[in-house]
Amino acid sequence: MNMGVKVDALKCIGCMACEMACGYHRDDGFAFLSACIVLYRGREKKNYFGVLLKEEEDLVVFRPEGMEVKKIGATDDEPGEQKEGDASAKPMLLREACDLCEEMEHGPMCVKVCPVDAIIVE
Amino acid sequence: MEYLSSDKILIVDLAAGEISEDELSEDLVAEKIGGAAVNKALYEQHADGDPIVIGTGLLSGTLCPGSSLAVLTGKSPITGKLAHAPITFHVGIELKYAGFDYVVLKGKADKPVFLWIHDGVADVNDASDVWGSDVWQSTDAWRKALGDDLIQTMVIGPAGESGSDAAQVCLNYWPSGDRFGFGRLFGEKNLKGIALRGMGLLEIADAEGFVDKCLEIIPQVKDGALKGKKGVEDICAAMGHADVKEWLAPIVHRHTASYNSPYPTQTFVFLDEDPALKTESAVAEPGFRLDDPDAVLGFKNLGLEAKEACRLMCLCARKGLSAAAVAQLSEKAGKKSAQEIEASLDSLTGTVELAGQGIFSPWCPRSPLFGDFGASDAASWWERRQAVAYVFGIDPMFAVMSPELTEELLLELAGIGTEIEFTSDTLESVVSDLQV
Repeated sequence: MNMGVKVDALKCIGCMACEMACGYHRDDGFAFLSACIVLYRGREKKNYFGVLLKEEEDLVVFRPEGMEVKKIGATDDEPGEQKEGDASAKPMLLREACDLCEEMEHGPMCVKVCPVDAIIVE
Repeated sequence: MEYLSSDKILIVDLAAGEISEDELSEDLVAEKIGGAAVNKALYEQHADGDPIVIGTGLLSGTLCPGSSLAVLTGKSPITGKLAHAPITFHVGIELKYAGFDYVVLKGKADKPVFLWIHDGVADVNDASDVWGSDVWQSTDAWRKALGDDLIQTMVIGPAGESGSDAAQVCLNYWPSGDRFGFGRLFGEKNLKGIALRGMGLLEIADAEGFVDKCLEIIPQVKDGALKGKKGVEDICAAMGHADVKEWLAPIVHRHTASYNSPYPTQTFVFLDEDPALKTESAVAEPGFRLDDPDAVLGFKNLGLEAKEACRLMCLCARKGLSAAAVAQLSEKAGKKSAQEIEASLDSLTGTVELAGQGIFSPWCPRSPLFGDFGASDAASWWERRQAVAYVFGIDPMFAVMSPELTEELLLELAGIGTEIEFTSDTLESVVSDLQV
């Protein structure tokens, strides 16, 4: 199995530092638009949030109750699919996949900036 | 202003229903740095329109730890003086990414309106349909009508519309650090609120240098005195009220942070759901987000159970009332039961007392939390620390728990990020001007 970013969504505090760091890696400026790691936060009143990660072939959803991997392009009629249809989710499929910040001196930026060590590479 | 900025100031004449834009001049930033100091300059420039000014700090929305802050500035109906309140969570930075560093709101609209700022465009829209609605209903209505659940809002409830001194401008669904009655000021202008959404990009003068500096400081902060602490309960404990943790524990769900804050200042409590639930609740509105230590302590000191206290705080947020003010006024009036307090919410009267000089919101605890800043005079240290946080765009609560975030570091980051030379003399002058 290839190395990849893993997120403990229960540790996550929803600060979006990972999303900004990834955006910086893509755009060389501060922006959220191009990040391949995104906080999903559309159920604010329920305090239900986690992290989405775009990989080469998969969209990985790190939910508080566990991780879910969805093949990009595959039909998915599971309940919950629609729930990720926030404004931030749709463009995910158009974004570049996680490359573990291979050209960055510091390695995966999202891991470096996470203040609660919720993100690791394994 | 080329760097760390959207380069635009939005001027809204509510009376005329007109909108215009100014460029943010580099000279103004070089002199005032940003945030509260630029807000004050814009307030003075537009004083004839009795303005409210909303502005971001120079470092707001960057990778500098704690850089979540925007600032709400106006003449407080409570003190009669110019005052600054924090705009935190993910709301503050949304202004910058929506395309404006500063917004000046002048005059009074002739009918209820809200301001919709999105991707560099601003519109004054009719708010008649939500006038009279509570904060939660209004945010829901705007998100639905504008088609985006991630729209961030600054919004008032019925308390602001009816001119209560305890009214505050709320953020999305939640209470804010507005203790100055700015909710009433919004109501007097027939301004129901502001909706924000944007996907802008901030250029950085020396991007690698800026980010390297941030990466240097992040481990120091997260391994500092705040390590292992979380939520409003640990803040209360640091303020000398350790029993809050046990009181609140049975209903705590999860903790959340404002944008890029290493410390999760917010404690979400479940009131109508199992707090241990990990999956998405089937209950539409299962609980409430706590973020105000004074409100928590105020209701606890009245002898309320945690759940009934949190229900009251939730009700205050829906009505757009400062829960800290409600707790204080309830205590003065001798009201101690949840039923008595709830029954009095629409007819609250009395003078709200504010700690400090009345320049920066007393929402932020007035002594260092967890860490040691080596301050000999706590009161003057607090006023200065707040000034620095409100200028650079650092969450004021985070600022009093992160001695690693020194003034020298913030000046250095500002310089690296903008190619403007900021010196300690610049900051000294800015802080002095804010404290006049």
